Amino acid sequence: MLQLVQGWLLFTTRKEKMDGALQAVRVIFRRAPISMTLIVLLLGLGVGVMVGLLGIGGGVVLVPAMVYLLKMDQHLAQGTSLFILLPPIGLGALREYWKQGQVDLRAGILCVLGMLLGAYGGSLVALPMRSRKLEGLFGCFLMLAAVLLWRKAWLEGKTMEGGGRKSDA
Amino acid sequence: MPEGLGRDAGILAVAAICGVASGMFGIGGGVLLVPLLGLLFGFSQHRAQGTSLIALIPPTGILALLAYSRQGFVSWRTGLLLIPGVFVGGIGGGMLAKKLQPRRMRQVFAGILFALGLWQAVSAWWR
Repeated sequence: MLQLVQGWLLFTTRKEKMDGALQAVRVIFRRAPISMTLIVLLLGLGVGVMVGLLGIGGGVVLVPAMVYLLKMDQHLAQGTSLFILLPPIGLGALREYWKQGQVDLRAGILCVLGMLLGAYGGSLVALPMRSRKLEGLFGCFLMLAAVLLWRKAWLEGKTMEGGGRKSDA
Repeated sequence: MPEGLGRDAGILAVAAICGVASGMFGIGGGVLLVPLLGLLFGFSQHRAQGTSLIALIPPTGILALLAYSRQGFVSWRTGLLLIPGVFVGGIGGGMLAKKLQPRRMRQVFAGILFALGLWQAVSAWWR
């Protein structure tokens, strides 16, 4: 509470309001670990809802959220996101899919192998990069993922009636 | 759907590409794996999601995480705080998804994702 007042005072005494607002946010974030903790907890909840709703990994939402809302460095946000993705969050969901026979175990194991090695290679590429460049690349990647998701959802709508399967590997 | 070794090699290659993206951008990789399994190998949406879940159960990002943490690029505290929220929220979202149209929502989400990516790329370029 004290920090809020302090931040507000800082905000009102500044002539340049934008600058003041930014400063106030910084003061609140730096000196009030409790409000920060609350924000982080709520952020996790929000991201979780999207994950369950859309069947999409949380990292793609978490990384920009940490960069913009928590003012983290791009590298730090990515490392933290990798940490969050360590526990098998999707285990319960996997059981439901398994019961319905919607799991291709062979393909899944191949994906594990490929991703394990690929992820290590990717981190070796990303770590020496400048944060700013990595941020730009991340943005491009988000756009690519968005296009693929859109295309998949669109094709799915068409294949409801059968046909329209893509196979240009 | 192509069968046999060719398909296996293809899936392995696609997974490796998703893995590179995962390590480079600190994401799970499912966001690429699910549409690619569907688009390239003819998996249905459910089958693609189920298979991608298998791939996300073992900590595939562990080697990448170690590489990041060696350079101090992991905020353990923030991560620990985020995990319970993501878990609880995920259950809630899963229940909500049964009542809504997931396909439509994925399209909306794709739109938001595209805007976010564009914004990030542009802001990183201009700053």
